[in-house]
Amino acid sequence: MSKGGRIGKTQQRMTDSFPGLEDKQKMSSTGPTQLTAEMLVIELQKLSESLKEDFNAALSEAMAPILPTLESITNTVATHTATISQIESTLSSHSDDIVSLQQDVATLKNQLASVSDDNSALHATVEDLISRSKRQNLRVVGIPEDMEVRQPREAALDAQLLVVTTDLGNEKASQLSAEGASFDSVAFTEHLLSYMGLKRLTNGEDGQQNGAAFGYLPQDAWQKVAQRAENCFRAAPSFHYMMGSFHAEPPSPKQRIERQRKAPTKEVKRMMPTQLKKMGDSHQEATEKEVERILGYLKKYYQDDPTSPIFYYEFVIDPNSFSRTVENIFHTSFLIRDGLARMYLNSDRLPCIAPVEEGEVEAGGSSIRKQCIVSISPKLWKEIKEAYDIRNELIQPE
Amino acid sequence: MMSHRKKPSNAHGSSQSTSNAGPTATQEEEDDATFTQPSTMQVQKGLEKLTPAQVDQKTAEVVQYFLVKDQKKIPIRRADLVKHVVKEYRNIYPEIMKRAARTFDQVFGLKMVEIDPKNHLYILINKLEPVTGASPITNPTNPKLGLLFVILSVIFMKGGVVRESVVWKILKNLGVDIGEKHEEFGDSKKVVIEEFVRQRYLEYVRIPHTEPVEHQFRWGQRAEVEVSKPNILLFMGALHGQEPQSWSQQYQEAHRAPNSSQSGTSSQR
Repeated sequence: MSKGGRIGKTQQRMTDSFPGLEDKQKMSSTGPTQLTAEMLVIELQKLSESLKEDFNAALSEAMAPILPTLESITNTVATHTATISQIESTLSSHSDDIVSLQQDVATLKNQLASVSDDNSALHATVEDLISRSKRQNLRVVGIPEDMEVRQPREAALDAQLLVVTTDLGNEKASQLSAEGASFDSVAFTEHLLSYMGLKRLTNGEDGQQNGAAFGYLPQDAWQKVAQRAENCFRAAPSFHYMMGSFHAEPPSPKQRIERQRKAPTKEVKRMMPTQLKKMGDSHQEATEKEVERILGYLKKYYQDDPTSPIFYYEFVIDPNSFSRTVENIFHTSFLIRDGLARMYLNSDRLPCIAPVEEGEVEAGGSSIRKQCIVSISPKLWKEIKEAYDIRNELIQPE
Repeated sequence: MMSHRKKPSNAHGSSQSTSNAGPTATQEEEDDATFTQPSTMQVQKGLEKLTPAQVDQKTAEVVQYFLVKDQKKIPIRRADLVKHVVKEYRNIYPEIMKRAARTFDQVFGLKMVEIDPKNHLYILINKLEPVTGASPITNPTNPKLGLLFVILSVIFMKGGVVRESVVWKILKNLGVDIGEKHEEFGDSKKVVIEEFVRQRYLEYVRIPHTEPVEHQFRWGQRAEVEVSKPNILLFMGALHGQEPQSWSQQYQEAHRAPNSSQSGTSSQR
């Protein structure tokens, strides 16, 4: 708007600010430029409206990017709210649970307290019994009878606890030694092994790698223990017949059978000796009888011819039997022993025999004892037979 | 001498036998049940009908029976004795037993002991006290005696009852494994739970409420009368290098008065 110059500066300014004004000025170029208030107001109104529109546009332009963001934010907030409400509900339920759990725990604690009280009471009772009884069976008394059993499970648990405690008490009682040294089986085995003469294996010997390798016990190890142990036993010594050693088992029944048989037979045997005795006596009698008989013969022969002597060998020899001859010699010797006959040597130094007179019978002890041994053999017997020419026996066989 | 043959009918008539044996009783129990101890009157009467020689004979048979049966250390039952030896002399049984006991006492230095009054089981033990310390005579002893001694000592030192697992463990430490064949004892478990139990040296009872089944060992009736507890303690003392008195509880038990030793039997039985 270079037109106007200085004069129109204000006009210029006005037209700048009020573009419509210029036009109106131009339009109304003929008339005086009369700026009436009404025209101003109208222009101002138009201006404000256009400004409004500009502002609206500008605002909406500016707002355009913000709106979606805002929407998204709103959405997010909404979701957050939902989540928060959920959390709230969950949290409330949890707190309910916790409360109930606390209650349970409280009741369990009470139960535990009561059970542990009972347990300690039982222990006390058991300890008391241990110190009193030694090897008798334990009878646990004083168990509280008035325990409230709310559920069968509790009763079962109580019963189990009782059984376990009493078993434990039993074992403890048997293992307990109130005073004095306890018996350690490990130490015992160690000592016993060295007594038995254990030769331990050192690692690496014979390829055995066990650290606790047993080692070798000598052959007589258990024998040694047995011998040492013998004096602890008051065992009756085993009875064995000295006649021999045989395995004990079979003879046992045999012995019984033998004894059974022996019982009746011994009765019989007892009878036998009595019979034998009689026979023995008769045997003796037989000898005496024979001797008597021979004496008879001797006397007879002597009486037949008192002067001629009876040759001994003639008298005793039986030409038909050697054995009879020996018997005769045997029986004749009795006569001489008893002093009923006498033997002497005649002038030819041949033996003769003669009976001793009744009055001459001397007591055996007073006379001087002489002994003589007569021996005979079949050969001698034959020779004498021939020499004496004995044909008939002087002593008749019975 | 013929008179005693008639005895069987008289004997059965005179000793009124009331057999209380039930239908499931064993033969021995039945025999024992039919044997009731004759009264002194009956014994008196019975003695009058026999000669002293007969009674002595029967006594001698009983003595011999005992001696041979005792070789295996298995207790003698009264039923067997009556059935096989005493037989028709059962009406004077108490007199025979009295004389037999006297013979054992005076001739052999042995004591005839009834270790089980209920089942009437007898054993012979030595009257003489065992020599303290090792025996001066070294004659070969059965090594099983050593095994038995170890078990009895352990049971005694541990208070009278021991679980079987404890015993097996100790034996294993001594080289006797019950799972293996031992070169001296063979089947060691069998020796312990059968032979020693039958000889009444040990008792092997089930522990109630155990699963799997476990047993415990105690001293048997023979051990109670035959084994000397003080001597066990002396041996223990020598072995450990301690005074026997240091095991005070066992020492007290060992030197308890003899008539109270029977109270070791538990009421359980």
